[in-house]
Formats: sequence, structure tokens, C-alpha cells
Amino acid sequence: MSATAADPGARLRAEAARALARIVFDGVSLRSAFDARAARNADPRDRALLSATLFESTRWWLRFDAALAGMLERPLPSKAREVRALLVLALVQVEVMAMPSYAVVAACVDAVRLLGQPGLAGLANAVLRRWLREREARLAALDADTTTQAAHPRWIVDALRADWPEAWRGMIEANNHAAALTLRVNRRRSTREALLERLVADGVGATAHGDLDDAIVLDASTDVSRLPGFAEGHFSVQDGAAQRVATLLGVADGQRVLDACAAPGGKTAHLLERASLEVVALDADAGRLPRLRENLARLGLSAQVRQGDAAAPAAWWDGRPFDRILVDAPCSATGIIRRQPDVKLHRRASDIRVLATTQRRLLDALWPLLVPGGRMLYTTCSVLRTENEAVVAGFAAAHADARTIALPDGLGEAAGGGRQNLPGSGGMDGFFYALVEKAH
Amino acid sequence: MALMKIVEFPDPRLRTVAQPVTVFDAELAKLVADMFETMYEAPGIGLAATQVDVHRQLLVVDVSEDKNQPLVLVNPRVVERSGTQVCQEGCLSVPGIFADVERAERIRVEAQDAKGAAQVIEADGLLAVCIQHEMDHLAGKLFVDYLSPLKRELVRKKLAKQRRNAA
Repeated sequence: MSATAADPGARLRAEAARALARIVFDGVSLRSAFDARAARNADPRDRALLSATLFESTRWWLRFDAALAGMLERPLPSKAREVRALLVLALVQVEVMAMPSYAVVAACVDAVRLLGQPGLAGLANAVLRRWLREREARLAALDADTTTQAAHPRWIVDALRADWPEAWRGMIEANNHAAALTLRVNRRRSTREALLERLVADGVGATAHGDLDDAIVLDASTDVSRLPGFAEGHFSVQDGAAQRVATLLGVADGQRVLDACAAPGGKTAHLLERASLEVVALDADAGRLPRLRENLARLGLSAQVRQGDAAAPAAWWDGRPFDRILVDAPCSATGIIRRQPDVKLHRRASDIRVLATTQRRLLDALWPLLVPGGRMLYTTCSVLRTENEAVVAGFAAAHADARTIALPDGLGEAAGGGRQNLPGSGGMDGFFYALVEKAH
Repeated sequence: MALMKIVEFPDPRLRTVAQPVTVFDAELAKLVADMFETMYEAPGIGLAATQVDVHRQLLVVDVSEDKNQPLVLVNPRVVERSGTQVCQEGCLSVPGIFADVERAERIRVEAQDAKGAAQVIEADGLLAVCIQHEMDHLAGKLFVDYLSPLKRELVRKKLAKQRRNAA
């Protein structure tokens, strides 16, 4: 076959449309949809464009899918769902990614053919050209409603407005901006100064984080596995909000610590980098444990890695109590929408109650495993009060020997017995912290 | 290594059905190397032995942008196919002509490599298109066969004209 058969721009967009359709219509996570396609694109520029296109198209789906619907007389049939994804992606490339419209339109019309729908190429062409003619009026119409202006589902807008009447607009705004990549230096293998020097020598723009001892913020996203020191375990990728956990838990050499929802092991590793501990790293999902082990091995750390449901300790606990317990609970991820925009499409309002029940069950089940005088840190990457302060308040009310410890102002907004970092605040993810001490 | 001459449509030799490869020797290795060189030079992303007038079941492909993912399929057999996709195809034996062809979206191919070892390839997208296109050559088929007789005649005339102009 000759090399020029398919324009690479069209081919890449057809691939992106297939992946986007899997995310939007099949509920596949953005990460796994990208990973499945990335393997076939060896060229780093192709991979970067694929990644940016999928992130932005997922982030802005609700805005530009509404824009598309407004230009179609009747909805596209479900068998043309990849074409629908392609057209939304085209609008996002023009409006959000500021790519030249003529190139996007030409490549996307070719991509419709690659998707096996040559009969829709004419419609695609007409719709995209119509958008370019009428875009200003159509953008104004989309801006009239928060759901289509900010591409958030109604239930998230309502929940944020109810929980954060002052801050909700800023939170939605922050959700729509890509987050900076933050590294955590492995202080057992390197120092922040040494790593910064190596990065800068390698031409990577990076600065030390002002408030966090181990954090380095990169100027631009990059494939971290190619950075100097990665294979040798000199650093990991971890948002600043998660890097506060090790400090807040207040660990000291010789302690026995449980990380109850450990995978992929970022916080487990940080604890071990900071002190010599006996750590049990537990996770319910056996499929995520290899990754956890891999991360610990790369960083030169060791923990007792176990598969088990933290809410049912009888099955995995050896009866020896813990000095510290970290419960980084499964949650709605509404605090990290900027990193996982698929949360907007995959979460449902009805998930929140179910999650809160699970979260409370975890705290109740693990409490007896803590030594008197020991501390349990509850964290989520949610910003919803139902999952955060309400869970902690219910737990504290039910356990007479539990006392919540006040956390420093610098951790974010006061939220019941805990603190809430709002998304984007301090450059960090939305994150909730509550520290509970057990009476002697 | 040496560049090989690519046979062009409507040369009847392109209609020859290839025979299975039974001997995996140095001569075969040299043929594979020459076919890659010829394909990359063209430039192409796939080449069947039929196109260089060797009528054995052998094809080479590399659909990567960086030309660093060469694949050799000897005695290939499609054992599973699913879905459909339409790709604008072109062919080194039909220069300058491009046309939409419908193919399976995903295929599973059993084949041998240049040393005779068994291999299984799961392909989709462009790689699947390319393998199907090259396997057609081994069966004496061309992508223009999928066009209507009228369009095929136009292609024949266009190629004849190109040749006259080049002469």
C-alpha cells in the first residue's frame, strides 16, 4: 500500500473519535481509553495530540455536544456515535485548542470516511462549516446556561452551589483548567535541590513548591517516565494535596501504620519515604496491587501488600493494632475533575449516598484496629459535604472515644470537623482532610 | 540489499496466485530485506511479494510514522474478522490512484515470520487495512477490483496517460 493512503491527521482524529465514543457512551475511563489507543501511536507528537484531544473533548463534551445538537435537524443514529464524537472533537479542537479551522474541517471530513460512514461526510462538512459561520451567536446561546457554558452536568452544578454558595463558580472554573504536573521527591534516594538541578540541566522547567517540603511543580506536562531519575526511583508523580497526607498523619520511626485503600500506593510510598515504618498497604482491588508493588519496588521501599476489604478486617487483620490509620476513601472524585474530566460524564447524583455509606462503614470498621491514643486520618478527593464532613460528624457522634483534631488554616476551608482544599487552590486538587484521635 | 522493480497495473502478473513458502533460508531473508528497502524507498507502508514478481505468500508492512515497526508475514491466514471500516487506499502498483475501500475493522492473522516461527497478529485500523490489502495481492487481487467497472476503466486510462506522459 502506498504511504499517502490516509492523511495522518484524519487517521489520528478517527482514532480519537473511537476512543472518545468509548468514554462517552460506554463509560470507559479516559485513562484506559487513551492507553488502549496510545500503544498504537509510537510518535510522541501523535500521542500528545491524542491525549490533549481526548482530555479537552471529555472536559467540554457537554458544551459542544449541545452545540452539535443545535445544528442537527434530528439526532445522529446510535450507529453513527463515533461520527458524533468526531464532530464534537472537531468543535473542541477549533474552539478550545485553537487549532486552525480549515485543517480541522478537512481532516475531520476525511476521518468520517475512515470511521466507515462515507455517507455522513457531506453532513459533517456542512455542520462544521455552519459552525464557523454562526459560531458567535451559537457560543452566546451556550453561555446562557451554566451546564452548557461550563460543561458540567446539572447535578454537579446544583451540588456545588448548595455546598459552596460562595465558591462554586470558582470551583467550576478550576475544574475546566488542566492541572500542573507535580512531582514528589523520594527523600531516601535524592533531595529536592539535586532533582531540580537535574531537571533544569535536562531542559525541563520546574520549581520547588512553596508550602510542601517534597514537591516540585513542572511548567508543562510531559512523559515523566522519560525524566532523569525516574527509573532509579528518585521521584513519583503526586498532586500537592495528596502530599500533605504524610505530614498530617504525623508518623514517627517504628510505628505500625495501615493504609486502608492503598492502590496505586502514592501515599503509602510517601509515608515510607518520611519514616521507618511497618506499613500494611491494603486494597480491595487485587487488580491494582501489581501496580502498587511496582511503585514501591521502583522507589526502593517495602510494605506488607495485602488484598482485602478494609470494611471487613476479620478476613485480613492479624490482630495487632495500628498506631496510625490512613483512610483515603473511595469517593466521587469531584475534587479532581480537572485531572479526570470523565467524572463529569460517568458519575451520577445517586452515587453520592452510596459512597457516603461505604465511607462511613470503612471508618466504623477500622476504628477498633487503632491503639488508644492513635490517630486516623480520613481523606477524599471529593468536594461534596455528604462524603466529607457529614461522614466524619456521623462517625464522631457514634464513637465516644473519637475526638477530631483541629487542622491548620493553611489546609483550606473549614468544613465541619475537617478542612477542604478547593480545586485549584494553591495549585492543588480538591481534597478533604479530617484527623481523629482515639482516647486513652 | 537491492531495490526491486514494482510491477504495475494492469500487468497480468499481478493476477498470479502466490504459492506457500516452504523453505526459510538465507535467500528468503535477502528477499525480505530487499522488499523492505523497496517499500521504504517507494515510499510505501506495505508490499506483497506479488508486486515484485515473486509469487510466494510473503508480505512486509510498516504503518508507523517513524518507519520503525517492520512486520513480515509469511503464509498469512485471516482467522477472525469483525466490524467494517472504509479507508482511502492507494497502491504502489497503481500509482497516483486513491479510492475508498471497505474492509474489516479488526482482524486476527496467523502467519509465520521470516525464520518460519508461528506468529499471531491482532490488528485494527490502518494496520488491519494494510494487511488485508497486501493479502489480496497474494491472491491476485487489487484494490481497484472493489471499484465499479466504470471507475476501474477510468483508472486504467489515467494510468496509461500517466505512462505516456512519463515516456
